[in-house]
Amino acid sequence: MSSHNESILREPLMTGKGITYAQVTDDILLPVENKPNKAWWIGFIVAVCGAMLWVISVGYTFWTGIGAWGLNKTVGWAWDITDFVWWVGIGHAGTLISAVLLIFRQNWRNSINRSAEAMTIFAVICAATYVVAHMGRPWLAYWIFPLPNQFGSLWVNFNSPLVWDAFAISTYFTVSLVFWYCGLLPDIASVRDRAHGLRKKIYSVLSFGWNGSVKSWQRFEIVSLILAGISTPLVLSVHTIVSMDFATSVIPGWHTTIFPPYFVAGAIFSGFAMVQTLLLILRKVMNFEHYITMFHIEAMNKIIMVTGSIVGVAYLTELFIAWYSGSEYEMYAFANRIAGPYAWAYWAMMTCNVISPQLFWFKKIRTSIPISWILSIIVNIGMWFERFVIIVTSLHRDYLPSSWAMFYPTWVDVGIFVGSIGLFFTLFLLFLRFLPGIAIAEVKLLLKSSSLQHKTKLVQEGAFPEDQVEFFRNSLEKYDSVTEEEINALRKK
Amino acid sequence: MDSNKKYWKGLEELNQTPAFVENNKGEFAEPIPVEDVLNEAGLSTRTPRRDFLKALGFGLGAVTLAACNRTPVHKAVPYVIKPEEITPGIPNYYASSFNGQSILVRTREGRPISVEANPNGVGLNQGTDANTVASVLDLYDMSKLQNPQIGGKDVEWSKLDATVIAALTKAAAAGKQITIVSNTVNSPSTLASIAKLSAKYPTANHIQVDAISYSGIVEANKNNFGKAVIPSYNFGNAQIVVSVAADFLGSWLAGEEHTQDYIKNRDYKSLKNGKMSRHIQFESGLSMTGSNADVRIAIKPSEEGAVLISLYNEITGQSVAGGTTNAKAQTAIKLAAKELVAAKGKSIVVAGSNDVNVQSLVNAINTQLGAYGTIIDLDNYSKQHQGSDAAFQQFLTAAKAGQVGVAFFLNSNPVYDYFKAEDVKAAIAKIDFTLSFADRAEETASTLNAIAPVPTYLESWGDASSKEGLYTVVQPTINPVFNTRQAEQSLLVWAGETTSIYDFVKQTWDATILAGTGKSWKDVLQVGYIYKGTNQGSSYSANVDVNAVSSAIVADAKKVAGEVELKLYESTVMRDGRYANNAYLQELPDPVSKVTWDNYAALNPKFAEQLGLGENGKVKVEANGYSLELPVVLQPGQAMGTVSVALGYGRTHVGKAGNNVGYNAYPFATLVNGTVQLAAKATVTKASGTYELAQTQTHHTIEGRNIIRETTFAKYLKDPNSESGRFSDTHKTYDLWNKFEQPGHKWVMAIDLNACTGCGSCIVACNVENNIPVVGRDEVRRRREMHWLRIDRYYTIEDNGTKYTKEKEIAHIDDFENVTVVHQPMLCQHCEHAPCETVCPVLATVHSSEGLNHMAYNRCFGTRYCANNCPYKVRRFNWFNYWNDSRFDNYLNNEFTQLVLNPDVTTRSRGVMEKCSMCIQRIQAGKLQAKMENRKLKDGDVKMACQAACSANAIIFGDANDPESEVSKALRNERVYYVLEEINVQPNIGYMTKVRNTFEA
Repeated sequence: MSSHNESILREPLMTGKGITYAQVTDDILLPVENKPNKAWWIGFIVAVCGAMLWVISVGYTFWTGIGAWGLNKTVGWAWDITDFVWWVGIGHAGTLISAVLLIFRQNWRNSINRSAEAMTIFAVICAATYVVAHMGRPWLAYWIFPLPNQFGSLWVNFNSPLVWDAFAISTYFTVSLVFWYCGLLPDIASVRDRAHGLRKKIYSVLSFGWNGSVKSWQRFEIVSLILAGISTPLVLSVHTIVSMDFATSVIPGWHTTIFPPYFVAGAIFSGFAMVQTLLLILRKVMNFEHYITMFHIEAMNKIIMVTGSIVGVAYLTELFIAWYSGSEYEMYAFANRIAGPYAWAYWAMMTCNVISPQLFWFKKIRTSIPISWILSIIVNIGMWFERFVIIVTSLHRDYLPSSWAMFYPTWVDVGIFVGSIGLFFTLFLLFLRFLPGIAIAEVKLLLKSSSLQHKTKLVQEGAFPEDQVEFFRNSLEKYDSVTEEEINALRKK
Repeated sequence: MDSNKKYWKGLEELNQTPAFVENNKGEFAEPIPVEDVLNEAGLSTRTPRRDFLKALGFGLGAVTLAACNRTPVHKAVPYVIKPEEITPGIPNYYASSFNGQSILVRTREGRPISVEANPNGVGLNQGTDANTVASVLDLYDMSKLQNPQIGGKDVEWSKLDATVIAALTKAAAAGKQITIVSNTVNSPSTLASIAKLSAKYPTANHIQVDAISYSGIVEANKNNFGKAVIPSYNFGNAQIVVSVAADFLGSWLAGEEHTQDYIKNRDYKSLKNGKMSRHIQFESGLSMTGSNADVRIAIKPSEEGAVLISLYNEITGQSVAGGTTNAKAQTAIKLAAKELVAAKGKSIVVAGSNDVNVQSLVNAINTQLGAYGTIIDLDNYSKQHQGSDAAFQQFLTAAKAGQVGVAFFLNSNPVYDYFKAEDVKAAIAKIDFTLSFADRAEETASTLNAIAPVPTYLESWGDASSKEGLYTVVQPTINPVFNTRQAEQSLLVWAGETTSIYDFVKQTWDATILAGTGKSWKDVLQVGYIYKGTNQGSSYSANVDVNAVSSAIVADAKKVAGEVELKLYESTVMRDGRYANNAYLQELPDPVSKVTWDNYAALNPKFAEQLGLGENGKVKVEANGYSLELPVVLQPGQAMGTVSVALGYGRTHVGKAGNNVGYNAYPFATLVNGTVQLAAKATVTKASGTYELAQTQTHHTIEGRNIIRETTFAKYLKDPNSESGRFSDTHKTYDLWNKFEQPGHKWVMAIDLNACTGCGSCIVACNVENNIPVVGRDEVRRRREMHWLRIDRYYTIEDNGTKYTKEKEIAHIDDFENVTVVHQPMLCQHCEHAPCETVCPVLATVHSSEGLNHMAYNRCFGTRYCANNCPYKVRRFNWFNYWNDSRFDNYLNNEFTQLVLNPDVTTRSRGVMEKCSMCIQRIQAGKLQAKMENRKLKDGDVKMACQAACSANAIIFGDANDPESEVSKALRNERVYYVLEEINVQPNIGYMTKVRNTFEA
């Protein structure tokens, strides 16, 4: 992309020695072109078991009715919508990475956008299952769309946030899918070009006849930009609309104007945490350490820290506004969150979402792979609790104390949630098996501008002043994929 | 013409060629290789491609043809000859009576579907109790016997008759007693049929015994006035009511009639005139009546007598020994006595005790107060409770001595409800022939020789006389469903009479009741009753030796007094247990504790804490040599050191819904002074294990919220707006939505919190009217009861003069005896700005031009968003397919019981939301009726089911566009406020402030 030399002050986005374009392709297509290894099989079998649990739990619900869940007359949504919002939120990181970072020309996205987008799509699929599964009569789910019909031309209620939701989620899913698939075209073509027989035929069809001409690339770039432009507002709109399911209601704890920005920040927060969870394993198991470097990990940790802080401010603002409102119902809703029967959930949320990301102020922590991974899991747990707190603790004690009730999940509630994680990983592992987990073409762009080997060459040629090189050398110390020898090679010859 | 022509198929046949003869042996021209195909080798051969395609083709064709079969059509067969009075879709009403109350039975296409009070009746005529409304379900109860039985085996009636007559003859010949044991019988026809039997068999006698005995009052009145009766009480004339442990609005005597009269001095109309009665209650457990009292003092059962002695002393200025030492009670008694005396002639004291001495003392007090002739009517006395404990004792003794040859049990189940079931069983074993007229093989009937099952009152001819001078008729609304026969008919047959029951009842009426009234039998069938009583009873003076009575009371109280005292009570819902198989009643929450499907030990929270008990705890209660392990209810208002247990539970032979629900507490009772007493010295210890009761409400206070607004009568008199705190008076509201005109009707409701006693008959009426499923104990535990209308009950705990309603403050309170209670009926508020309507994605719930919030079940796909967004939490979701799911088979999963469903209201499938429709079917029916009569709909043409069942007139429904309608007038009342008005959902149901006539005022 860039013909000029990138500043030496910038950390490398790719490490390793003697990497060629061919080797990038080889490295990334290794899992796609070979039989899966043991780790993949173990993961896949576990994930499929989870997915089976999902099938059983959802099947049982469809067979007997929503009564299979722990809901009651007071708490009409609980794990179902908690899980739905959780998955939709997770989906956000993919779009943010692929669209917003593209527009801002953040090249470090090139290594992670593919998996993040795949994650988005699978997360939205998981979320969509709840939209259908939580309905009392799921076989009528299509009524949510304003379809011309013969039921006396019944129409949908455009005042209802659930209708907005249906549009938001379906638009989001469609655009994300198209964006993801467009980005995949050159890489599928690479797989096609290296394949034989039936495999070649299939990938030929999938590659939409990509021929790698300059014109193709030019159009590819333009389409990417256009789709990025379309997707960017979606990053904000989807979770804004999801938040309106709550914000437009009259229930204290739901009826909150801060919800749209708060939900979006929370979504990015949880999305990046999930990307982190996945990529830290991915880079290890698939040997992608040179492509997904410590820089990426640290950058994402920083985003987690910032969005986590935004979420924390939102929590505190909610408390302040509840007090400042003078509305007794509002005040009680929040007092009940803090000290009511579900206080443990509130404090779990506070600890996981507000306190734990603050640890990332410490460089040692944000560059430690095991701690980053653990914290990413903690953040995901915290974000699940956030939705649980918002939904269940607001509903279980609202206006009339006579109806106050507790919610206790059943095995079906748990089964559907755990099962949806299984479903997600099943899809994700299949994706890794059949499609390149890193955008080959986009990573290749980095090879001659932002890779360590390129920068080493430039340093050796004496392109940069020594103090800057010294800074660069120091910045490499955190990299687990850079050896001492490679750092020492960063000297003028 | 006989023909022997033979047609041949060809020359071969004609010639009978050998080849033809050979070929003709087989059915087919060529042999079919069936054997080859079906033997093993044939099956394992490869199917040729063509055969496969043929099979495929055939299969496809066959399936297609099968699929062409149209869905079977279930034809509704029209009447060939339509009965004149039945028009499909139009209900018929029949005047009848239940437990002596004149009612109207609504039938549709020949099946009774609901019961309402006869608005023209005498006595209770606006509303019914929950049992009456629910009674329609008993007709469709599958647990009833379908044939007469001898020794547990079905027999023909003729066989039964022969057996019974043989037994009767044998007993008569041996000179042994023939006893008919019944509960109170006030039906002239039943008594006449018993008389017929007695005439035929001179050794026959009839004794009456009630599960809940009022013998004490009868005996006391016999001693004091020479009249062995229970008087009628007209609480409408009472300005000051002091009740000592009498649940007179609930289960005591005629609770529903008392409610109707009592509320007339407390509802919005009375308050409008600046009048309100004062009600002071002394009791140990918090009864429904106590929850409505202005002042309530918690006392132990042993203190009841002492309280009355003190009260007597204060009223008369005497100093009879044995007064109470309870400081709180003393203060209240002083104030109460002053008021009672001041309001002489308009004040009354009632006591729930079944002790002769206590009731004599009460008679003495009421004589002093001049209550006889104004409030207490000994002339038009009640005939509802004539049971005599002494008579039953004599029967048991005689039976055990082998003097009884035959015993018939009519509406009497002593094996279950007599405190010494073993005695009853031993007595029965000594009787040569025993028979029950029970409709099912219940506890007693199943131990007897034979059962002659009776139909329900909805299938019977009969009558009742609940009060001297009042005669009500029972007329059938359907043919007997099972092979049953009325007890009266059986008695007639056994007495050798051939009269049919219809003729017999008619003859009885013509001969005795109608004589001299100028009315015909036909008139009675139309009107339903005849009243020959006087308007007002005359004055009486009790002749009581107060000192003797008091010392007896003190002596008896010592037997009960103890560290812990047990009080048994008749539950307002389950009563004495005879309706235990009625699923509607089992799921009707107790008015105070809100517990369904169980009885329990009610303990003061502080007392429970001392015993180491918390929520879901279990306790072992021991008294009179009997013990039970019961789940605990932490009951504010319960006197310290007392435990209350409801009777009427623990049936074992009543049917699918009622068997083994709760525990039988009757064995705790004992006999003192010849009457059954329901209080005893007890020990209470913590039992192991936990038990979760199915409660419909688990949070009991309003948390300081303004959803309940209450004031005192004194404040009300100064300012009728007192505490009504209407938001709209001080705030301007803004509309987000367009205002829609409501030019025709605008249906609204007014609910008077001062009138509602919390009894819950409206809930059952709503269930029956709207086909609301009963979901069972487990689902109620999961907080999934389906009631469209509920009654929220909130406590305010008073400690040291401060009132607490917040959970956190209550945690630090030491004294839970002082509690005030409010009952708030809560149902869909039909908000003009309904939050449910805006959030439904598919417009399944929308607003009508008449101000109603409609629910289109067919359009609902069950997101439950509406229920979440309902601030009143009145929407109910069909979690399962309650109509067809064996897990919820409490009563309805059979075609017969489903006939109870109201055909005007659809049953809801799984996965859809439902809620109060404002009985839209009744509104529609009212409009159509008005249209057919070519007139405008009048106020009062349409009554809600809940409204019709409310004897307190707490629910007023009507058209707000008609300024003269009752509801419009009610809603213009200063006390009206709207619940959660400040969130501007604009509810269409107005509530009127709760007014308490407290002493401090």
